Amino acid sequence: MIKVGIPRALLYYQYYPMWKSFFETLGAEVVVSPLTNKAILNSGVSRTVADTCLPVKLFMGHVVSLIDKCDYIFAPTVISLGRKAYNCSKIIGLPNMTRALIPECPMILAPEINLEKWRYHVYQNIYKLGSCFTSSPLKIKKAVEEAWESNLAYRSKMSDEGITCPEAINRMCQINQQLYSNCNPSPLLTIAVIGHPYVLYDDYLNHRLISRLQSMGVKILVPEMVSEDELDIAAKKMVGTPHWSFETDIVGAGEYYLEAKVDGIINLSVFGCGPDSMMVDFVKHRARELGVPFLYLSLDEHASEGGLITRLEAFLDMIKWGEKTCV
Amino acid sequence: MRVGIPHFGNVYVAIKAMARGLGATDKDLVIPPPMTQRTLDLGVKYSPTEACLPYKLTLGSLIEACDLGADTLAQARGTGICRLGYYARGQEQMLRDLGYNVHFITVDISHHKTASFMKLIRDMTTNVSWQEIISTFFFGIGKLAAIDKVEKVVQKIRAVEMEKGMANRIYREAIKAIDDASDSREVKRIAKEYMDMLCNIPKNPQADPVKVAIVGEIYVVIEPFSNMDIEMELGKLGVEVHRTMTLSRWVKYSLFLNYLGIDEWREVHRLAKPYLDHDVGGDGWESVGEKVLYTRKGYDGLVHLAPFTCMPEIVAQNIMPSTKEDIPVLAVICDEQMAKQGMLTRLEAFVDLLKFRRRRRRDGRKVCNVG
Repeated sequence: MIKVGIPRALLYYQYYPMWKSFFETLGAEVVVSPLTNKAILNSGVSRTVADTCLPVKLFMGHVVSLIDKCDYIFAPTVISLGRKAYNCSKIIGLPNMTRALIPECPMILAPEINLEKWRYHVYQNIYKLGSCFTSSPLKIKKAVEEAWESNLAYRSKMSDEGITCPEAINRMCQINQQLYSNCNPSPLLTIAVIGHPYVLYDDYLNHRLISRLQSMGVKILVPEMVSEDELDIAAKKMVGTPHWSFETDIVGAGEYYLEAKVDGIINLSVFGCGPDSMMVDFVKHRARELGVPFLYLSLDEHASEGGLITRLEAFLDMIKWGEKTCV
Repeated sequence: MRVGIPHFGNVYVAIKAMARGLGATDKDLVIPPPMTQRTLDLGVKYSPTEACLPYKLTLGSLIEACDLGADTLAQARGTGICRLGYYARGQEQMLRDLGYNVHFITVDISHHKTASFMKLIRDMTTNVSWQEIISTFFFGIGKLAAIDKVEKVVQKIRAVEMEKGMANRIYREAIKAIDDASDSREVKRIAKEYMDMLCNIPKNPQADPVKVAIVGEIYVVIEPFSNMDIEMELGKLGVEVHRTMTLSRWVKYSLFLNYLGIDEWREVHRLAKPYLDHDVGGDGWESVGEKVLYTRKGYDGLVHLAPFTCMPEIVAQNIMPSTKEDIPVLAVICDEQMAKQGMLTRLEAFVDLLKFRRRRRRDGRKVCNVG
């Protein structure tokens, strides 16, 4: 059976159920790289140029960990996911960078997804991808339909049930994932944690931020708990249509939760993230206007756990103290 | 209305010419003072920490324009892949917060560039015919082209002149004279005069300059303040510098010839294809292609300029070392932490390396693989 390796980084969190059902319907086996650990991060860091952003370094590490375990690596070239909206350069150049940085890696499957071009172009690329596995167009069509079904199911599961990406992936695909139990009966505070899924849900990267907050008695809200349409509307209110697709998560969720009157907002960002460096400022500005506490956490490979905890505790104390004085 | 513009190479010369040609007085156009450490400090202080250097510099420059009384500011906008698209938005918000009552006029540089430029000029003027707008537009562009022509000569002469700094002095005079010129015939005459003057500078007959090409992100490549005058410093070290990217070339192709299907980068993109097969925004694709191009042209080395955390250039930087073309590349990352002495040391070492390689090659021995 052909094995397709999917690195547990970057777009994995948004699209894994879709990819999985696509490849499995085509009769391939899907191999996912293990949870991030020190060795994976280090092997990624050692291969990339120093000022590359952390998620890309991590991606390379995950690709290295998949060498010899699969026949193909799946790393799509996602250029655009909507009219006049692009992805960050590094996501667009990802397959090319992987090829350059890890010459020994298995063949990379990199279909170009560009919705700026006409639809047929995307269909053609997906068909080309499918024909690596089967020669029957009907089978490919079926795989695409299945994949799209599970993508819709995945999105609605998160927004309807209010669960995070890893939980939804776990329920749908039964795969080893870090889990969070958002079942604190009487949460003291409600805090929105906004950031890219590949930062929010990588527990090694963010030092278990979400479970840490939950154990401090905080109810967590993440961007995925809002439906895509609502995110779009909220984002439009703040900056117009963001021209980076994945920034809708940040500004859309920021605006949505600010309007929903959460007790505080934590932005989890990574050092060197170009889109975040501009967009977070708009959210910060809006939070200041509305008087909502805002914490900007920037992670990199040197971030220490102790420093992070201190800042979280101080932030929560500040919110609680602020509420007391209001009463 | 007093319009302020940020500094970007010699772009102010063109804009000044256009403004005058359209009947604006000197009061209507505010050109900020040349960029200094103060500009940078202002920009850094009021920008998001992780914004890129061009954002910080243009913000600093715009603040200085505001201090001189500008109430309308010009900035680029676009739906690109890099940060440029949000420059105007972020800077406007920051300037408002600082208490400046300004509004931004933006030029779309990713879609409908020419129309956007023309509409902007049309909106800002009254009772001026299209014909006049177009002719002053070409007059401004003509000035840029003349300066770039002189600059091409300077880049070569700097490496071989007897008295260091002379070519640079003449170049500065040339910019000033072209800036003051009032019609296109005069611009051409002045450019020719200065180019002759440059060619007549006494040259060192023994000089054997190594050839270096400068590639990278357009702002830091073109604006000398942002790259600490790297071209001049290379010239002082006896290096002949070449740079494809110039303002007049950008204007010529992006605003006109691209619409006719002529792509100035077609060859470069073709050469980049084996390593990077599509646009990644900014100038990343071009940087990779130019590495291949200049190796084939027989250049000795490449200086790759990029602002710190520039997304497209990081892609290029990650890809460049793996290409099979063997040419030394010096990556210079520009940001506010950059220090002149540190950069000079790196340049000296780089130039030594290039000279060493050239000697080795001439001696016919195997070139050691350093890159």
